[in-house]
Amino acid sequence: MQTPNFRATAHYLSTRLPTALLLALASAAPAAAADHAQAKAIVSTSCVACHGEDGNSVVPMFPKLAGLQTEYLTKQLNEFISGKRKNDIMAPIVAALKPGDVGPLAAYFSGQKMTPGSIGDKALADAGRSVFMDGNEDTGVPACAGCHQSDGLGRASGGSDIARFPRLAGQNAEYLANQLRGFKEGARANDPARIMRAVAKRMTEQEIKAVAEFISGGL
Amino acid sequence: MKKLMRVAALAALWPLMAGAQAPAAVSAPDDSGYVWNQMTAEMLTALKSKGDALRGQISFDVCVGCHRRGAVGRPSGAYPRLAGQHATVLIKQMTDIRAGRRSNPKMDPFVDGHVITPQEIADIAVYLQGLQAPVENGVGPGTSLDQGKGLYQKECASCHGDKGQGDSAKFYPRVAGQHYKYLLREIHMIWSGDRRNSNPDMVKTIKPYKDLEMEAVADYMSRLPQTP
Repeated sequence: MQTPNFRATAHYLSTRLPTALLLALASAAPAAAADHAQAKAIVSTSCVACHGEDGNSVVPMFPKLAGLQTEYLTKQLNEFISGKRKNDIMAPIVAALKPGDVGPLAAYFSGQKMTPGSIGDKALADAGRSVFMDGNEDTGVPACAGCHQSDGLGRASGGSDIARFPRLAGQNAEYLANQLRGFKEGARANDPARIMRAVAKRMTEQEIKAVAEFISGGL
Repeated sequence: MKKLMRVAALAALWPLMAGAQAPAAVSAPDDSGYVWNQMTAEMLTALKSKGDALRGQISFDVCVGCHRRGAVGRPSGAYPRLAGQHATVLIKQMTDIRAGRRSNPKMDPFVDGHVITPQEIADIAVYLQGLQAPVENGVGPGTSLDQGKGLYQKECASCHGDKGQGDSAKFYPRVAGQHYKYLLREIHMIWSGDRRNSNPDMVKTIKPYKDLEMEAVADYMSRLPQTP
């Protein structure tokens, strides 16, 4: 895992190299087209059933991947492969990937547009808004908005900041709640610096359900 | 080994270099055995590191969920305002919490060594020191400001400054612009000994205070101008 200090240094440098990055992106255009085709072929056979062709999963227990940051998707795929993130469904699927598939897949899903869900339980979502924006002072739950931003978009990739904090806005509520429970119980343990495990441990089941409902509406 | 000796030598010299009171000059340590501002290796490392405000802003992302964007804190007092605080004070408090000298269970998982390095502590401290806090802070009921002013000027101003500006070299915090409820909570904890890394001279000074006097002085401090 990269140390926080390394990450900070990477940010620092990236803010000072915008021109170099733009040039690199421009010359990479033909390669991007090839990557897109490579990713599409994999998506149509291996990903589509659960995550949808465009990464907008309609199955509540599976995450939407559309519009998530490339860096976040890359990290998750690599950690499914290494076993750092454990998941019985994903394990055999990623085992079939070739090392060169991760980058194109992450770029493909990141480039899709996420379709937010609609809120089913307004009162629950209102309680969730309070958790998201303010946290819980009594129990020390930080506001989600602190890291994931008040629009829930996390840190946009390609800017002056790498994506340390994934986009949440519009994500399926059932998936979100399951991940929070996973962090709370330690079943999901690939969060940098154990931050999400510390946060989720302080959340009640009611807070988890409420904040997941709120986020799923797209904020 | 050489490095260790250098750190030890610096530890002995630092109070003099920083203009802080040498350990021999302060009151006897309290029951916890805490000697005011006794340096740890980590505190020295952070104090010697050149902080970078931009990197500090990035590292501070993880703190925003509680301390708010711009480190303005919360009027409820649950989380203090950190904007404009002296870097030395912030380094002392962060490293004291990491060393177990100040209890802060809510903050522990976000400030521990597996989250940030001593360099990042220095970065965050420089970033916060440079921030202004234009947002209004929480103040007290305003019912005994004259009493608060009298107490403050007589017993607090010699360390915390007549404008509440604190003293960077002596690790005395800025209190101006801080949220009333946070000030009050900490005064109570210093009074009771629960804030274990307090200056023993301050503990002694406020020991005779009754609740109403602590409220009065906290209220007065919370109304001092934020940018002296």
